[in-house]
Amino acid sequence: MRLPDERDFRSRLRSAAVTARVGLWLGVCFLVCFATGLLSHYAQNPDHPVTFPASPAWGYRVTQGLHVLSGAAAVPLLLVKVWTVYPRLFRRPARGTGRLVLDLLERGSVAVLVAAAVFQLATGLANATTWYPWAFSFRATHYALAWVAIGALLVHVAVKLPVIRGVLGDDVDGTSYDRPAATEPGILSRRGLLRTTWLAAGVAVLANAGSSVPLLRDVSVLGVRSGDGPGGVPINKSAVAAAVTATATHPDWRLSLRNGDRSLDLSRDDLLAQPQHDSELPIACVEGWSASGRWQGVRIRDLLDLVGIPPGSDVVVTSLQESGPYTTTVLHASFADDDRTLLALGLEGETLSLDHGYPARIIAPNRPGVLQTKWVSRIEARA
Amino acid sequence: MNAVRGAAGALGVLLAAYGAWLLVSRGHDLLDVAVWLTAGVVLHDGVLAVVTVALGALAVRLLPAPARAPAVVGFVVLGSATLLAVPVLGRFGARPDNPTLLDRDYTSGWLVLAGLTLVAVVGAALVRSRRRRGEG
Repeated sequence: MRLPDERDFRSRLRSAAVTARVGLWLGVCFLVCFATGLLSHYAQNPDHPVTFPASPAWGYRVTQGLHVLSGAAAVPLLLVKVWTVYPRLFRRPARGTGRLVLDLLERGSVAVLVAAAVFQLATGLANATTWYPWAFSFRATHYALAWVAIGALLVHVAVKLPVIRGVLGDDVDGTSYDRPAATEPGILSRRGLLRTTWLAAGVAVLANAGSSVPLLRDVSVLGVRSGDGPGGVPINKSAVAAAVTATATHPDWRLSLRNGDRSLDLSRDDLLAQPQHDSELPIACVEGWSASGRWQGVRIRDLLDLVGIPPGSDVVVTSLQESGPYTTTVLHASFADDDRTLLALGLEGETLSLDHGYPARIIAPNRPGVLQTKWVSRIEARA
Repeated sequence: MNAVRGAAGALGVLLAAYGAWLLVSRGHDLLDVAVWLTAGVVLHDGVLAVVTVALGALAVRLLPAPARAPAVVGFVVLGSATLLAVPVLGRFGARPDNPTLLDRDYTSGWLVLAGLTLVAVVGAALVRSRRRRGEG
């Protein structure tokens, strides 16, 4: 059996006129993924040279939802786009040293782009279901390859710009940029293939959107969370997984507030005796799902006042959880000083469940869920 | 236009190089990363693309003309949705201590999606076949 040749692919559907139109929307999806991903990465960093705002409360929920859904839409877009250019994989190497070098460079840049794009979509998709069939760190690797993907995309657009401008300026059925062999009509028309692609992208979005858009929960048959859980809020890490059941339910549990030499230990009853407030705030997970809840508890700002931590201070929150990257987190001043930020003791009028962080958890607006520390044991001024 | 292309290309190389530097300096298990990067391309170019070409050839041979276009639409829609569904259908990330994760019956959900697609494809094929006969 011989390898296929570029000329074996005769369908007029495999045309740059289709590639560029699908590629345009694929590029938009990748840009949305890149921008929202950078934002999320920054939000999770312990140091914020530029203040991350606490408003709007739903900001992170929306950007994470967009991240995951534009990733889902990108899957059919990428598949169709690569299908239209598949014959080019088998094109003959260019003649002449100069041309050959350029040809190899272009092939190399496309290989990097496709490898990074498929990697980002596949690992992102698996991560959304908390499936980690690899040894590398998801966050560090997904972040690094996001730069590779967006850089390779920019190179690709630069290389292809004359073709892109040419075909987008022409009718979708134009043939001026087609391969000479692509002369046979396809099963669909080009417009038909484009509409099919938009339909597939729409179905991909709808099938997943319910994890972040409550209205769509019933139609999102592939949603990773249907929104059930104690108080109508799903759980990412259970008390069992965090190995905190014994310490979190121990009668000797105290919240320790510290500011240098000053310290104060409060039991759950002491906390319940403080002025209580309500906050309607979402848990928006880095995996993309989100759910809103009405939380009850003590304002963090009020607690910080008890040990004289001045407004404008970043504080460090420590969990009972003994291992994991989010055992201690930084609650930046913009969140700590916000009136909506609570040390939550209850959810929807009921005692906070163990899996939601009993005896007490952080809940703040516009923040990644992994930073909404559960099973809090200590809050202290950041050194 | 060539100045814009040159600038965009150079910026792209810089951004990608920054990503590669991040990967090498801060990443770990680089061999595993390399395996995943390669596997994606190989699985697409060597398996998925070939299967698609074969299915296309099969559709032309086996399906009556009015059914071909609806079948292609159905294949693109259901095929990409099925790829997206692999992690939830396999429930690989499910954990016994957390019932709020992967809390749907994904097999039934996928079957509903596949059923709706099939109904739409057959329906469209029948309509097209009748229209064609009407014209003829």
